Amino acid sequence: MNFLQPLTLIALPLILLPVIIHLINQQRHRTVPWAAMMFLMTAKRMSKGMARIRHILILLMRVLAIAALIFAISRPLSGGWLGSIGFAKPDITMVLLDRSASMETQDLQAGESKRSTALKRLVDLLEQGDYGTQLILIDSATGELQEVDSPQALLSLPMTEASATSANIPGMYESALTYLKANNSGRAEIWLCSDLHENDWTVGSGRWDAIREEFALLDNVHHFLLAYAAPSSNNLSVRVENVQRWQRGNEAELILDVMVRRDGNNTATRKVPIEFEVNNVRSVVELELDLLGGSIQGHSIPIDSTLTSGWGSVGLPGDANPLDNRFFFVFSEPPVRKTVIVTDDARTGETFRRALAIPPDARLQHRAEVFSTNRIGEIDWENSGLLIWQAALPNELVAEQIQNFVKSGRVVIFFPPHQNVGGQMFETRWSDWQQPEDEQSSEVSWWRGDTDLLAHTDSGDPLPLNDLRTYQYRSHESTGTTLARFGDDSPLLTRVNTDSGAVYFCSTLPTAQFSSFERDGVVFYVMLQRALAEGCRALTDASQRDAASNALADREQWEVVAPKDDAASLSQCGLHAGVYRDEAYWVAVNRSHAEDIANAAPVEKVDALFGGLSYRRIDVEVGDTSSLANELWRIFLIAMLVALIVEAVLSLPNKRVENNPVVDFATAGSEAD
Amino acid sequence: MALQLKRDYLDQKVLERLSTLQLHARLPMIGNVSGKHRSPIRGSSLEFAEYRKYVPGDDTRRLDWRAYARNDRFYIKEFEADTNLRMCLIVDTSGSMGYAYNGMSKLDYARRIGGTLAYIAALQGDAVGLYCAGTQFHKEIPPKRSATHLSAVLDELGAIEPSGATGFAEALHETAERVPQRALIVIISDLFIDPEVARNCFEHLRFRKHDVAVFHLMEQNELDFDFDRPIRFVDMEGGEPILADPIIIGEQYRRALEVYLDSMNEVIQDTEIDYHRICINDDYGDVLAKFLLGRTPKKRA
Repeated sequence: MNFLQPLTLIALPLILLPVIIHLINQQRHRTVPWAAMMFLMTAKRMSKGMARIRHILILLMRVLAIAALIFAISRPLSGGWLGSIGFAKPDITMVLLDRSASMETQDLQAGESKRSTALKRLVDLLEQGDYGTQLILIDSATGELQEVDSPQALLSLPMTEASATSANIPGMYESALTYLKANNSGRAEIWLCSDLHENDWTVGSGRWDAIREEFALLDNVHHFLLAYAAPSSNNLSVRVENVQRWQRGNEAELILDVMVRRDGNNTATRKVPIEFEVNNVRSVVELELDLLGGSIQGHSIPIDSTLTSGWGSVGLPGDANPLDNRFFFVFSEPPVRKTVIVTDDARTGETFRRALAIPPDARLQHRAEVFSTNRIGEIDWENSGLLIWQAALPNELVAEQIQNFVKSGRVVIFFPPHQNVGGQMFETRWSDWQQPEDEQSSEVSWWRGDTDLLAHTDSGDPLPLNDLRTYQYRSHESTGTTLARFGDDSPLLTRVNTDSGAVYFCSTLPTAQFSSFERDGVVFYVMLQRALAEGCRALTDASQRDAASNALADREQWEVVAPKDDAASLSQCGLHAGVYRDEAYWVAVNRSHAEDIANAAPVEKVDALFGGLSYRRIDVEVGDTSSLANELWRIFLIAMLVALIVEAVLSLPNKRVENNPVVDFATAGSEAD
Repeated sequence: MALQLKRDYLDQKVLERLSTLQLHARLPMIGNVSGKHRSPIRGSSLEFAEYRKYVPGDDTRRLDWRAYARNDRFYIKEFEADTNLRMCLIVDTSGSMGYAYNGMSKLDYARRIGGTLAYIAALQGDAVGLYCAGTQFHKEIPPKRSATHLSAVLDELGAIEPSGATGFAEALHETAERVPQRALIVIISDLFIDPEVARNCFEHLRFRKHDVAVFHLMEQNELDFDFDRPIRFVDMEGGEPILADPIIIGEQYRRALEVYLDSMNEVIQDTEIDYHRICINDDYGDVLAKFLLGRTPKKRA
């Protein structure tokens, strides 16, 4: 508990005043000669029970009244949750601020977002209380620690402003943990402001176990969570799923796939105007939304044929979250989708080449080249988007080239070599060739259909992996994520975790000797085309990126193209939605797809993450800027009044019935007459 | 009978007012001279008592010839014997009788009551005795009916002082045994004794055929116990002092007093004594007037 006038507490010993007065009063008694001692002694014996308790209660009420008065004057601050942590003041206060895009959901009447509300309330609390010798800020956008001079400074720091990023809540706790382990010398309070966004919290992650165990080893660390558990209502978010520039002769157009997502409980259909802006030309299309939202597929916007690259945006009318009402996109001429196939087996190479050289859209240009391992030096790494490697895992120079290839955002798929040779790459190595033991082992028993290369089609139909048969395969040992596996749990396709680009390992070859990939065709073709499309995104002069601290880290000379009125510093550019340009290279930065999904982690699961730790969750509502630390003097004043009233009631002399005196002299006389 | 009054505790006006009233015994008394009180023995007063059949040996002069003429039978006409009484004043002189109100203690009040009654009794020719009972009898004046004796009684009444613990119950038992003949026993005390002990005393006195009158003296403060701060109560009879907060124990005190008085009422009803609960704040003249009038015999049919 904190006090605005803590010096007043010096007067606390005054609570003994009633006791002292009572004792003095006992000593200052009058002496009265008394005749009716027999009644007095009887009364003394009788008064050892309730009367004594009543007298003790009277004294107690007087003590409580004075104590309540002193506490009221000292102006205590707290809520119910704060009162339970005692009088200790923290040495270090750490503020973990969730700056993700979903935190910009506003209360339309108050005009305050979740982030600003939480921040103001927290600043208010810290200013009224004592935040210790250090005030540390960790914001979710940068993940960096910054020491702040005063709570008020939190309101003006760029690190507390809105951002279009996602939050990594466990990462923030890990940063706090690292700092506390290095610096903690006493009591620490960690305040986290978050909307419990499921994607930000990843409550199922094993990282939380480690975090919890590590914090449990630290003494005097108290966790407070300002949680917005209530889901946002009636919010729309817009996203451009795909944008392509096509040109036919002298006519050029942009083809956009736009999705509008709808949150909240309103099930009524409604129409919303979707505003497109390209090259300062605006157009509006009405979209009818159903329960979940709606989408516009293949929306065509004619553009000047000389405009080979540029940017645009799609906007929605204002609603609860202004940050997801606008989505920027950039476009450029589609690059030649070039694939490099490295194999010493001409038959296999030809299979890959045929699958990759045929474009899914006639307007695209595909090119696939097959290289044997002794021609690796001829590979055009710069202009290739996909590398198919069906050879022994490389080492040294080639391995380094492949790693750089992946780092630049391209895609590599490793297929097993014919020879049983060793080697390791991306922490993955091939096992020996083997044949399925039975029919079931040759079939694909499970694959990941929600995302990545084997995802369901746009219409929601799964790829026909059930029809795939495998006759020989080389299992691989990898730390990556399995995307498909056989009946015997051996992986068919694995994605290795990388910071950028993508690396896949496939256990079998497409030719008929090894599998039915080539014969069935569909899965093989879709898989490769998706990998190629992903890899070629790095080849375009325009790319879409999720807002993050490193979103623009690959180049230095960025120019802010849109929005022009955004005053964010260049160091914060990658954190905000917008369009950035480095000469001919365009980048549109937007919030991640996960930020549009307003699923909140269940509070029970969030609470369970802090099991065994000193933890309080404070549920707050957006727009409610009332102080977290309410002044409690009213409560103490009421307590004082109650104590005084109880004391007065207890002190009231017992009711004497005037009409029924103890002695009736009129009737007592001559009783025997 | 004229008395030269020098006792300042007696009020001349009260004596003059009460001199028109007589002190009557509620029970027949056995005196040694003729007086104003009924006697259990038939006598020669003018007060007709009853007819009795003649038996040989009776004085023929007492035959009622008119009754013989009517009934042709001999009847002896008997008359009440009027005698004097012995009034024994038993005054409690224990320390508690020193409790005072406006300068007048219970003992002062007892002096006035006892002195006035003694005067009235002596005035009508009754014998007056005084027994002062503290821890034990420290003064004992047997009843006599001379003026000098009354003077001695009044002097003694004026001289007694309250002191010591009460031994009043023992004193009453002793009085019951010492007074040989029927007498009017006037007890003037605050009766701070157990009601059951008091019952034994009164029953003992009644068993000895004494006419018992009790003046139970109390003071208003003792009844109200109306104090507002802790007080050290010093026992006037020499016991341990008690430090108590009347706010705490007031209710219990009053409850204990109520229980005591209720018990005392039962004792009075059972023993049929002439009991008067007196607040010493009241005028003693009125109290005595009420007492005397209450004892006046009713007219016979």
